[in-house]
Amino acid sequence: MTTEISPEPASKTTTMTDAVTSTGSKVTRVLGALSLVSIALLLAFGLLVSPPEIAQGDSVRLFYIHVPSAIVCLYIAFSITLVGSIIYLRNQSTFWDLMAGAAAEVGVVFLGFTLVTGMLWGKPTWGTYWTWDPRLTSTAVSFVLYLGYLAVRRLDMDPVARSKRAAILGIISFANLIIIRYSVAWWRSLHQGQTLDPRDTQLDNTMLFSFVLGVLALTMTFAWLVIHRFRIAWLEHQLEAQQLELAIAERTSQGPTGLAHGGA
Amino acid sequence: MGGVVAILGFVLFQALTSARVFFRNVDEAVAERAELGDTTFRMQGVVVTEPAEDARGAITFAVSFNDVDATILHVGEEPSDLFELGMPVVVDGHWEDDVFVSQQILVKHSESYVADNEDRPGVGEGTDADSGVPLDDAETNDDEVSASDDR
Repeated sequence: MTTEISPEPASKTTTMTDAVTSTGSKVTRVLGALSLVSIALLLAFGLLVSPPEIAQGDSVRLFYIHVPSAIVCLYIAFSITLVGSIIYLRNQSTFWDLMAGAAAEVGVVFLGFTLVTGMLWGKPTWGTYWTWDPRLTSTAVSFVLYLGYLAVRRLDMDPVARSKRAAILGIISFANLIIIRYSVAWWRSLHQGQTLDPRDTQLDNTMLFSFVLGVLALTMTFAWLVIHRFRIAWLEHQLEAQQLELAIAERTSQGPTGLAHGGA
Repeated sequence: MGGVVAILGFVLFQALTSARVFFRNVDEAVAERAELGDTTFRMQGVVVTEPAEDARGAITFAVSFNDVDATILHVGEEPSDLFELGMPVVVDGHWEDDVFVSQQILVKHSESYVADNEDRPGVGEGTDADSGVPLDDAETNDDEVSASDDR
């Protein structure tokens, strides 16, 4: 159990936490429906409508999930963690602390998905699932860094100190993402260069559409999951604060009798 | 905190300045042949001869980079289906005299994707149909210029 008194006043929310049975709302239901529809569309375009690639054949279809998934975790998820961490260190905002954690948690899932789809793509094109190429290596390092970040968030220690440590790690880990981003330019790499140049006229329209659809579908799915994950964390936080307040109230009501013996 | 930053800085400095690279280009690997001895390393070049497979499954072909050629004898696992004349490859192996004995062929693929439909035959395999030499790829690293067109 926590030993520190939370800065959040729990009394306001006591009844609310009791009544909550879902982390859904109108917004998340719409977002969830849109996510599912866009994923269904992505499957249709990615697997059926879009053409095979002239050299790669069908394995090019991994492009529509591998790259969008990388974009979502590297550019969106861990950027939210970075911003949340910075704001938390400035003003100890519980909202941003929990938001940073929620984004990192879902981000790690997307990063794992990026690694797995990349490996599945690497075998038929490069001829290997894995090689210690600069981009692959730096991405694997990031995966471990953010797992470490999530581990720090669960350390059994004073919550304020823990959140501060997590925030510092959330900022440091972001530096490695810059290395991932430029790894293909700084070092000799087996991995393809930067994502598509929009001026690349060779890209088939259906391929481009499937890719954009992939970015949209995975971004919405990410947002949907993060909102739910954040709300769970927020409720947990309030429940802890509420239990703490109850415990304190119990102690103070017992207090005078206990003191009466020791006094006089 | 200061310690962490110092370590990160050191690692970054080492990574950015170290001579260790994921692969050497053919011209570098040929120039350094004496020093390399039989050490295992990766070498990048463009496949410039039609790969020939012998009865035991060993593949012989030549790769070129910056106008320097090297003969490859590949004895490892079968490369991916994208392996063919004109593709840039990274081979993993060592020198045995003038021949590079390869254990692994990794096929590099550019970030251009071309739909496979009949009205655009021959385009997009990364090669110029006449010479089998890669087309200029503006997005490759500066030190990865494609093999010269005037061979």
